[in-house]
Amino acid sequence: MRDLLSYLTQRFFWMLLTLWVVYTFSFILMRSVPGNPFSSERNVPPAIERQLEARYNLDAPPLTQYIDYLVGIVTRFDLGWCIRLEDYSVNQVLAEGLPVSASLAIFAMVFAIILGVSTGVVSAVYRGTYADIGMRTAAVLGIAIPNFVLAGLAILLFVFGIKIFPAGGWGTLRQVALPALCLGAPIAAYIARLTRTGMLEVLTKDHVRTAFAKGLPKRTVIMKHVLPGAMLPVVSYLGPATARVLTGSLVLEQIFALPGLGSHFIHAALQRDYTLATGMVLTYTVILFVMNTLVDISYSIIDPRVKLQ
Amino acid sequence: MSDSILSVDDLRVSFKTDDGIVRAVRGVSFDVRRGETIGLVGESGSGKSVTNLAVMGLIPKPPGTIDGGSAMYDGRDLLSMGDRELQSVRGKKIAMIFQDPMTALNPLMTVEQQMTEVTRMHMGLNKKEARLRAAEMLEMVGISSPAKRLRDYPHQFSGGMRQRVMIAMALSCEPDILIADEPTTALDVTIQAQILDLLADLQKRRGTSIILITHDLGVVAGVCHRVMVMYAGRVVEKSDVHPLFESPQHPYTIGLLESLPRIDQSKGGELQAIPGQPPDLAHIPDGCSFRPRCPFSIDKCVQQDPLLTEVGPDRLAACLVDVETAERKAVEVES
Repeated sequence: MRDLLSYLTQRFFWMLLTLWVVYTFSFILMRSVPGNPFSSERNVPPAIERQLEARYNLDAPPLTQYIDYLVGIVTRFDLGWCIRLEDYSVNQVLAEGLPVSASLAIFAMVFAIILGVSTGVVSAVYRGTYADIGMRTAAVLGIAIPNFVLAGLAILLFVFGIKIFPAGGWGTLRQVALPALCLGAPIAAYIARLTRTGMLEVLTKDHVRTAFAKGLPKRTVIMKHVLPGAMLPVVSYLGPATARVLTGSLVLEQIFALPGLGSHFIHAALQRDYTLATGMVLTYTVILFVMNTLVDISYSIIDPRVKLQ
Repeated sequence: MSDSILSVDDLRVSFKTDDGIVRAVRGVSFDVRRGETIGLVGESGSGKSVTNLAVMGLIPKPPGTIDGGSAMYDGRDLLSMGDRELQSVRGKKIAMIFQDPMTALNPLMTVEQQMTEVTRMHMGLNKKEARLRAAEMLEMVGISSPAKRLRDYPHQFSGGMRQRVMIAMALSCEPDILIADEPTTALDVTIQAQILDLLADLQKRRGTSIILITHDLGVVAGVCHRVMVMYAGRVVEKSDVHPLFESPQHPYTIGLLESLPRIDQSKGGELQAIPGQPPDLAHIPDGCSFRPRCPFSIDKCVQQDPLLTEVGPDRLAACLVDVETAERKAVEVES
């Protein structure tokens, strides 16, 4: 317990450091591109442009901008006003979009883990059978097909074909199901492969033979002695999987017209919305960092030989 | 034999490999008597472990198949039992410990979890009783503060201690037979002696029969009552322990004994190794399988595959030559 607490504290400080580095980098990157949020084909009169720049503190020297904005974030958790979305603060955009994106991601991950692990286990236990071959083929397809293609096919099939899901929108379980499945499918496929490989590896271990020699039924051996060990690579993959789900959701939210963060992320970058882009990048950094920490903790829970430090 | 508790008859096991069918066990028969320790000796690949795994129903199928024979325990044939029935014998009536205690315990479970799952299943103990039983067993095998150590994971034990845990776990349901597959091979010499003493002591107290698989004749001399020497999937000599060491009847046994280092040997004397390699079990030569390496071989050995025959009171050997009078010649090994 004390290990855990000191580990969490340590991770927290690392996260702050990472956030600062990410902030600095994105600040420099965005400013080093020529032009500004208001330069477009249609030129704004200079007076108005000055007005706009003053409103967003863009007329200050870069270092002052850097510090002012950082101070705002640290002291007030205030990410500022969106430059291109009028009358919206970045915090408001996050508060509206994050729950949507997060629930989509959680649905997708839960679906991917349940489907991936169970098919992986079945595939390993019945290796060499037609069921195994079928699942492995499906897994290869799942990994190879990009989720936007899958989404297109799914819409054709389930929205226009058998008409069991709505084409888009947000709010009901039926609306979240299809995008979550499309988002989770490649992850599920990858998890299935990891699980199968892990299971087959653990099955050859001496301690599994010991478990059989003790007279335990096959089901118990598989569930208690093989599965936990086989889960270790899967757990490690959950960190990168989260990153994949987050980037994948940028595309899928567009296809299914979901009011998540994905479209903001893209527009913020394209329209040079400094504040919104910074807010997005920092939010995603926090999500990934938290997820990786959770992965490390679950790893150490499964494998007592792993010490948190 | 009336007091035999397990009798294996003409056991044959093979494995399908890319190289052809490997016949790992080719007609092995033996009895295990109540309360005795029987040693199974031979080089790696001689079929010692496979024989015992087959008895336990632990041969992975595929690629392995049991081609024939029987293993009678308590009036039932272990080889033809269904999974359910076999599970009620494994761990409860016949328990097994393995060579490498570093890998034979599950690294992700505490010793308590691993020990109690056997007794809870086979003896129907509840959680608390099972924990008490586990602590009692750990104490019996000489692990101090057992109640505390139960909560530890295998990696927190040393090699010798892990083997003690294995033994404690294997004996916790009071099995009739303990199969010990090279239980000391992976351990330090001093620890080896402790483990062997422990096994001998536990046997004396409980009357458990032990099948001890080893390639170490020193271990056999120390703890076994009877010995079977295996070569290329067959038993080539079977005898009480003392006669075997005094007058080995099979050339392979002679070779094994001569390859033991001895303290009274003149200094600088070279160790006698058996020339050549054991045969490829996918392509066993005609005639006696030991012939290519045998210093006593005669013409007859090429055609005739020797059977296990009585060579003395309670002694069997599978050799066509009378080794006590035969002439020894140098062996040229074809490579």
